[in-house]
Amino acid sequence: MIAYVCKYTPVEIIEAFGEEPVRLDSGCKSYERAEALIHSNMCSFVKGVLENIVENNIEEAVLTSCCDSIRRLYDVLKDRIKFIHILDLPRKKDSLAVDLFYNEIAEFIEAYKAFKNRSFAEEDLLKILEGKSFKKKKESSGSIAILGARLKDDVVEKIKNSCTVNIINFTCTGEERLFNIGAKNNLLKSYAESLLNLTPCMRMAEDRSKLINKEFKGIIYNTIKFCDFYSYEYAELKNKVDIPLLKIETDYTDSNSGQILTRVDAFFESTGIKKIEKKEALKGYFAGIDSGSTSTNAVIIDENKNIISYSIIPTGPRAVESAFKAFEIALCNAGLKEKDITSTVATGYGRVSIPFADRIVTEITCHGKGAFFIDNAIRTVIDIGGQDSKVIRLDDSGNVIDFVMNDKCSAGTGRFLEVMARTLGVSIDEMAKVRKEVKENITITSMCTVFAESEVISLIAQNKDQRDIIYALNKAVASKAVSLVDRIGRKGKYMMTGGVAKNQGVVHAIESRLGEKLVIPFEPQIIGALGAALISLEGKLG
Amino acid sequence: MDPVRFYSDIIKRNMDKPEKVNKLINFGLAAAYYYVNFFKDKRSPKSLHYLNKYCIKSIKDSLKNPQNSAWVNLFSPCEFLIAMDIKPLFIEAYSSFMSGFFIEDYLIDTAESRGISNTLCSYHKTFIGANELNILRKPEFMITTSMICDANMPTFRYLSRKYGVPLYIIDIPYKYSEEALIYVKNQLLEMVKRLEEVFKRKLDIDKLREVVKIENKTRTVMKEYLDYLKEKTLLTSMTFEMYMLFASHVFIGSREILSFYQMLIDDIKRAPERRGKSIFFVHLLPMFEKNFKDNFNFNNNFHIAGSDINYDFLGEIDEKDPFKGIAEKLILTSFNGEINRKVTRIRELIEKVKPDGIIQFCHLGCKQSIGGTFIIKNLASEMGIPFLYLDGDCVDKRNNQEGQNRTRLEAFLEML
Repeated sequence: MIAYVCKYTPVEIIEAFGEEPVRLDSGCKSYERAEALIHSNMCSFVKGVLENIVENNIEEAVLTSCCDSIRRLYDVLKDRIKFIHILDLPRKKDSLAVDLFYNEIAEFIEAYKAFKNRSFAEEDLLKILEGKSFKKKKESSGSIAILGARLKDDVVEKIKNSCTVNIINFTCTGEERLFNIGAKNNLLKSYAESLLNLTPCMRMAEDRSKLINKEFKGIIYNTIKFCDFYSYEYAELKNKVDIPLLKIETDYTDSNSGQILTRVDAFFESTGIKKIEKKEALKGYFAGIDSGSTSTNAVIIDENKNIISYSIIPTGPRAVESAFKAFEIALCNAGLKEKDITSTVATGYGRVSIPFADRIVTEITCHGKGAFFIDNAIRTVIDIGGQDSKVIRLDDSGNVIDFVMNDKCSAGTGRFLEVMARTLGVSIDEMAKVRKEVKENITITSMCTVFAESEVISLIAQNKDQRDIIYALNKAVASKAVSLVDRIGRKGKYMMTGGVAKNQGVVHAIESRLGEKLVIPFEPQIIGALGAALISLEGKLG
Repeated sequence: MDPVRFYSDIIKRNMDKPEKVNKLINFGLAAAYYYVNFFKDKRSPKSLHYLNKYCIKSIKDSLKNPQNSAWVNLFSPCEFLIAMDIKPLFIEAYSSFMSGFFIEDYLIDTAESRGISNTLCSYHKTFIGANELNILRKPEFMITTSMICDANMPTFRYLSRKYGVPLYIIDIPYKYSEEALIYVKNQLLEMVKRLEEVFKRKLDIDKLREVVKIENKTRTVMKEYLDYLKEKTLLTSMTFEMYMLFASHVFIGSREILSFYQMLIDDIKRAPERRGKSIFFVHLLPMFEKNFKDNFNFNNNFHIAGSDINYDFLGEIDEKDPFKGIAEKLILTSFNGEINRKVTRIRELIEKVKPDGIIQFCHLGCKQSIGGTFIIKNLASEMGIPFLYLDGDCVDKRNNQEGQNRTRLEAFLEML
């Protein structure tokens, strides 16, 4: 078995040697071993691959000089595993580049022959290549394209399973290795040329615009944390294409696939890819349960969309129990029994584990729905909850047409403020008071919760006024929220929802940055649950 | 109020008026130039003063004359531009100046809000942000190499598409071979053809040979300077060592840079015998970080003994075939290829300079550099020299943990 990473690796040579090529992924729970060998600020994918190699005692690997991180991975692995080889991969594909890559492949063959004391036959390679001969590719119009940085196979599978539309993975992990070997008299050179002609990735000097111009129904664009190549293409693409575009950021750990699927589901819902048929007008009561990371909220409405009751409770260690409890309290407040509820929609992180829900819908769609119901002039919803923050763009009919979420960290969320309140030794209510007049205008420079905490500790050590520090923290959260708004463009009227909307300090800071007043609903924490209840009544998302 | 902060506030308030910001930046550079010209820092050696003026002037000139300017990255071969009298603007330097003007945060936030990754190197984010706000006037041409830093190619490609300005990407192989040499030489020939078309002037090969000749001579003087470092103490600053990048890379081959190194030799000859502790830096120096400035700028106790980035190529370029010679330089720079090349170069420099300690400032987002930190650490421990690595950012001051850095840096210096 020979491990490899990059799609430009001469995988077919490995096969011709009779070895099994295994594309390495990360999929690790931690980078404990990797971070002992390489700096923690390296790309998460490379750290994951390194962890995988060390953890599984992988002895043979072939890399290419594809990016800074992989080149350093080679440096770290050299002299550490039995066989490691790096191929110099040109970024161009002219005849001199082909010559260069051809030599590299020949050198690899010689190196592996010497290592294994085994011969190599070109006929074996030819047979393999003939088995992978070029066929006409399937029509891709009407499909959803996954573009950008490599996306893990299991996430691709989950996306495919979550809808009925054809999904095509155009990232490196989805490359179909098809070859059209013409010149058999110089098989290796012809093979080198074919490899250089694979769909160019962002590290190549070749133009990728052909890939983008296809008539897709929508694009899911993936970037990897600390891998910066693809953000350029995304930045260019988002202003260019007029088809639905969703950006996701993965870090190649298992832990964020839940968040990714929430976004993808919401994307499918907002683009009408996932449709729920409209039911006949229903009678009775309808419930929405929002199982969030910090609080679980329930709302019950009647057939005329009047809010009959609601409840907000902290999410305990078991999301299901909290959901039952919130539901029961709401029922009790309304003087109803469970049998009186015609249908229930669950939303939020814990939505999949709520057994009594008739349907599950993402919190993005629900927040959009709830916010538009309260004020139909709302075009942007800023939701800052316990662990994530999101900005949702609505069209004139209240449909979600775009959204962005914070990355996988608690920067700028309720959790950030909770940690800071604890550090300062004040209650969260104290943090929430407006600080219009400050003695000193301090700026918290770090948005990372961990770094910001040490910054606050430094400020305490410098004897800064606590109110000034709180003011600075509220400003920091506001800055993060407004930068999310800027990612989809500003458009009023704005509504702020989620627990942090109760913090007057943050609200005030966002308003001054946006230069516009925010609509704060009477109970900002129940908007998701309200949206869920409305979907439950109407049976439609938009 | 601090005048620089005051100036920075004015720029930030006018960010929605790109023409005005462009003028304000040009004004700031002109003011800096005249300030340096008339108020010489008494602590600074003559050569530093000269280089300081040269660097500001070069940025100022290329920004004011975009029609005769090409944007390049630090490792682009600018010998061709010097020979053709085209003014290079190297984007890392522009970003450093913007950080000096305290507006990098605004530019970085702008780039990120347009979708550029927040983990990208801040030298690139700052430059992209400035372009997103349209505060730079587009040049006639752009040149980037693919080597050393992953950000170069996509940043230049992004900007070239944004403006519709021609870009030449020089793909530099990771390994050295005859084929690699031919591959690069051929690209250099092609690039010059494009330059000739765009700027409507011919490259005079004899002029290029002359540039290369000066470059070779400059390197001889540079090596002489290195020999003095172990016995003399020339007090300088973090900024000076970073300004050296203008001299060791983009503008090497010009007569002014040769003069600078000659002045530097005079300065170091006159400098006192070695005293205090000398620190060698790996890669970049955080010239805006307060702790580093406090501890190293013109300090008798701790002084800067150089950085390997200023000595990444110490060979001679073939004067007869400058295209081949420059191709060779590009492939063989110690920052290209396996880390062993870099390790070997650092070892040579350490043996020559004999510093008391080594510091690597791990610039956030620079994967090629931070990915080798532990390997350089092993080298230092093998050579018995104390080594410290600190995480931070050379441009975006918000990413520097001043308190934590102070404790670590001071503990390290106490240890020496």
